[in-house]
Amino acid sequence: MKVNPDLDFIRYMKSAGGDTLKKCYQCATCSVVCPLSTDDKPFPRKEMIWAQWGLKDKLLADPDIFLCHQCGDCSAYCPRGAKPGDVLGAIRAYAYTHYGFPSGLAKMVSSSKNLPLTIGLPALIVLVMWFISGGMRIPTAEAMSQYGFGHFFGHWDWRWLAKNVAFIDLIMVPAFGLAVYAAYRGVSTMWKAMMTQYNVSTVYRPSVNQFIEQFLWPSIKEIIVHTRFNKCGVNVNRVIGHLPLMLAFIALLFVTAYSAFVQDVLGIFYPSLHGPMSMMNPVKMLANVAAIAMIFGVGVLWSNRSAAEAEEGTSATYYDWFLIYEIMAVAVTGLGAELGRLVGVPVLAYFLYYLHLVSVLMLFLYMPYTKFAHLVYRTFAMAFEKYRESEFVGK
Amino acid sequence: MDKNYGTYICTGCGIGEALDVENLTAAAKELGMEAKTHEALCGPAGREMLEADKNDGVNTFIVCACSRRVMQNEFNMGDETITVRGNIREQAAWCKEQPSDAKTQETIDEYTNEMGADYVRMAITQGKKIELPEPYLLETLSRKILVMGGGVAGLTAAKEAAKTGYEVTLVERAGVLGGNALGWTKQFPTRAPYAELEEPTIGALIAEVEADSKITVKTSTEVARIGGAPGNFGVTFKAFGTKTEWDAPAKVGVDEQDKIDKGQMEDPNDGLQKYTAENPDGEKYGAVILATGWVPADVSEFEHLGYADNDKVVTNVEFEAMVKDGKLAGINSVAFIQSPGGEEHDMDFPYTNSVTSMVALKQAKYLREANADAKAYILYQHMRTPGNMEMFYKGIQQDDGIFLTKAAVTGVAASGNGCTVTAKDTLLGEDLDLDVDLVVLAAGMEPVTKYENSINLAYRQGPAFLDLDLFDGYSDSHFICFPYETRRTGVYTCGGVRKAMPMDETIDDATGAALKAIQAMECTDRGVAVHPRSGDRTYPDFYMQRCTQCKRCTEECPFGALDDDEKGTPLPNPTRCRRCGTCMGACPERIIGFADYNVDMIGSMIKAVEVPDDDEDKLRILALVCENDAMPCLDMAAMRKHSLNSLVRFIPVRCLGSVNMSWIKDAMSAGMDGAILLGCKYGDDYQCHFVKGSEIAAKRMDNIADTLSQLGLETERCAVRQIAITDYDTVSGIIDEFVQEIIDLGPSPFKGF
Repeated sequence: MKVNPDLDFIRYMKSAGGDTLKKCYQCATCSVVCPLSTDDKPFPRKEMIWAQWGLKDKLLADPDIFLCHQCGDCSAYCPRGAKPGDVLGAIRAYAYTHYGFPSGLAKMVSSSKNLPLTIGLPALIVLVMWFISGGMRIPTAEAMSQYGFGHFFGHWDWRWLAKNVAFIDLIMVPAFGLAVYAAYRGVSTMWKAMMTQYNVSTVYRPSVNQFIEQFLWPSIKEIIVHTRFNKCGVNVNRVIGHLPLMLAFIALLFVTAYSAFVQDVLGIFYPSLHGPMSMMNPVKMLANVAAIAMIFGVGVLWSNRSAAEAEEGTSATYYDWFLIYEIMAVAVTGLGAELGRLVGVPVLAYFLYYLHLVSVLMLFLYMPYTKFAHLVYRTFAMAFEKYRESEFVGK
Repeated sequence: MDKNYGTYICTGCGIGEALDVENLTAAAKELGMEAKTHEALCGPAGREMLEADKNDGVNTFIVCACSRRVMQNEFNMGDETITVRGNIREQAAWCKEQPSDAKTQETIDEYTNEMGADYVRMAITQGKKIELPEPYLLETLSRKILVMGGGVAGLTAAKEAAKTGYEVTLVERAGVLGGNALGWTKQFPTRAPYAELEEPTIGALIAEVEADSKITVKTSTEVARIGGAPGNFGVTFKAFGTKTEWDAPAKVGVDEQDKIDKGQMEDPNDGLQKYTAENPDGEKYGAVILATGWVPADVSEFEHLGYADNDKVVTNVEFEAMVKDGKLAGINSVAFIQSPGGEEHDMDFPYTNSVTSMVALKQAKYLREANADAKAYILYQHMRTPGNMEMFYKGIQQDDGIFLTKAAVTGVAASGNGCTVTAKDTLLGEDLDLDVDLVVLAAGMEPVTKYENSINLAYRQGPAFLDLDLFDGYSDSHFICFPYETRRTGVYTCGGVRKAMPMDETIDDATGAALKAIQAMECTDRGVAVHPRSGDRTYPDFYMQRCTQCKRCTEECPFGALDDDEKGTPLPNPTRCRRCGTCMGACPERIIGFADYNVDMIGSMIKAVEVPDDDEDKLRILALVCENDAMPCLDMAAMRKHSLNSLVRFIPVRCLGSVNMSWIKDAMSAGMDGAILLGCKYGDDYQCHFVKGSEIAAKRMDNIADTLSQLGLETERCAVRQIAITDYDTVSGIIDEFVQEIIDLGPSPFKGF
């Protein structure tokens, strides 16, 4: 192997939470104590020396950096005070930027220097759309209690598609589409790199169904029941935060899908279904529980991270905090807007709803470049881990 | 001294229970001594009894109690008295056998009582033969210290010795002081947090030495020869590189002298003063510190690393010079190779110790400080950073541009303007291929004694240290037990000539050597041995009238203490002597002895053993035991209640080298059935405190075997066994095995004559 260390990459990792990476002296205690590392394919000892030597390409094509759940056992037991968990976090952050498309957007999101732009861009998009829609005025309390936020972007009488829905779709669908495409592109580039690095040659290609059935779905199942997270030793309490948070996202996904179907499909035929759902509707109850679970979950992760920074010297990184703040913003603005609506203060409700739209747009749009990207990259890394051991691959 | 004897038998520590005390006092009575018994002779009441007897005029105390290795202060009755110890505790009471089918309690008691009685007889005999030692004092004693070598080690030794008030002369070959350290750009950190390289301190050290009124500095000077002995070394200086008649003469052995006399060989010392000649213009010194340092090792033998034919491959010393001369421009990447073994072995370069690991870390830092984008690769098999230097290693590791991995470097090939280094078995999990501008090899520090005498002694055994090959050129005498000692008393080495070591260790080392030199002079002043028998007031006395000039003592002395005259008569230098008694063991005329340890005394003790001549079961076997390792080993075996064979009688000796073969003959003619010598391990990994003693004894025993067979005795009756101090669990088995061989041979045919 021709080796030429990338000094800039080392500097990047050190600035992004991996400041201790050079302390490693390769004793491999980390690989031994890691509850997720396997005897056949141990990590993170090798990742540490690759990082020390600035071997960017090797790390970017390494599924183990995503298999790591940053339990922190390695960091706790490291005799030299190197924190492999944090180093791998920094490498993941770099990987999301590296695989991100378009790269300009990915780079913008990765740096705290661009925070005004990162928030300003979605805020401006929503504001402009709101202005264009002509719905930009505060309704009466009466109107709001009847329509909820259904007339946020105004109203027209075309029964097949509400104006509000049309504008939300105009904002969110392209953003979501871009995110999905960027994630697909990133994951497939990563997959190819992993195939090359580990010299994996496909004997015969699995069908999409086979791929989902044998590799993707088992990985998703593991993720949902938190199999790996629960193995964590030192910081197993992170499950208390992550599990409700993940379930909240799933619940809200369902609630959004249900709401869209009821209001925008069934609503065409039964106009009475338009307007805010009753608080007694089980779906609405689920939505509210999910919102609270989200705040609780992200709150636990927030306090865990603060404690780790205070007690264990974990360095505070933009990469980690951005996602915590962002999810908190989505949850708080969503719940706040709802409360504003219920207590009948339209100004507050509309303002918070605006912020809610901005934060949700950020969540969608920036998903492939922020820490949120782990939900695709880690899933596919886990799938790759299974794939390279499978019958489809030449041994 | 007129001797007044007091004989004492202690019954404490289980002696009274294991032995029949009346039988012991009866044995003493046979030899004319009224033995007093006491239940705890070492206690206050016992001491009171001894003091009272001393006041009544007793000056020779024969104490039959525990091993002579313990209770030395309790039984020390003062300078003008003699204490002799008979060991009836460890060698009789405590090593008593357990009853078995073969031996009843009654038989065991009988045998053990015979043992005890023999030790009492031997102690009394020793008491009768022993004399009070008179220390050997020099007429004039020099307290000046000669330091050879003006590098960090020599400068420090001179400075530290001068600080304690001693006069020092510092000799340096070069025109300036400083040695190799003058070439270093920076030094390893010496203070917490051990992170930053430090500015060189050599300048300040030189200034301090030059300003010290107690230190005389002689540059461009070397030592032609050192004659004499500790307290009275005669040193001749000369200008560096010149030849004089006072240069140290080469060793001419007996055979060579023979050839020279017959004209078959040229005299290598033609034109030189004889080694015994004393230069009237020479200077007197009390002790010598050898700090002549090291030379960078040649690394061209490792062909795959290309040092010989690739100008992009340099040694660490050459790289240091490049840094000093500011020649790092254009060098953006350097590979520091620590171990030359490739795939064959993982050893570091020879003569490196931990030094080259730390030098590589330091030099990597030089490169990084000169160029922020530079990359330094350190390819090691071992990173040796002892003590606080681990912090230094940790600090260097933090540098973004320093890359470390364990690796087997398989080759260095020229490529473009630099080299390609290939390595296997790396921590990166793959073979490496590194393109670098320069390769630095971790050449070791070879002691100058590997290449030259350096010390230039005018001794009969030659101008150099002995057995340098055994220690890769280092002038060791006993690396494990006595790390500062050389084979030449009063000469102490420190710094690179003693071991590859970094500067801070050198400073400690040189300070230690200065203290050893002072100790040597002060012991000489008091007429006592300096080492390893510290404080011993005895020294070998020669009855020259009966000397046959056989030269065995002069040849065999492990420390070169004996010179000789034209005819071969030994010229003793008691202050060079370590009191091992190897000369005494060597002398066929038995004319060498110490006041408290001589051929007659031990011979008489052997004859004091009662040998039953009519009992086939009661064989008697003599064991002469080295008191350095074998004796403590036996004591420890007894403390662990291992039984020792009751047919054996142990006599401690200073060293197996001091065993005179006449003692074996004494034992055999007294009707004893066998004799065994228990001494230290010898050979390349010897443990002998006097280097050669056990090895010489083994040779002498080979020779005596011929004599025995001529007398019609089986050669197997005499043997040597090597005992390490840790053999306490196996030593009784080793002895039993030998005794069984004797039992199988049957009683000695000499019995009863």
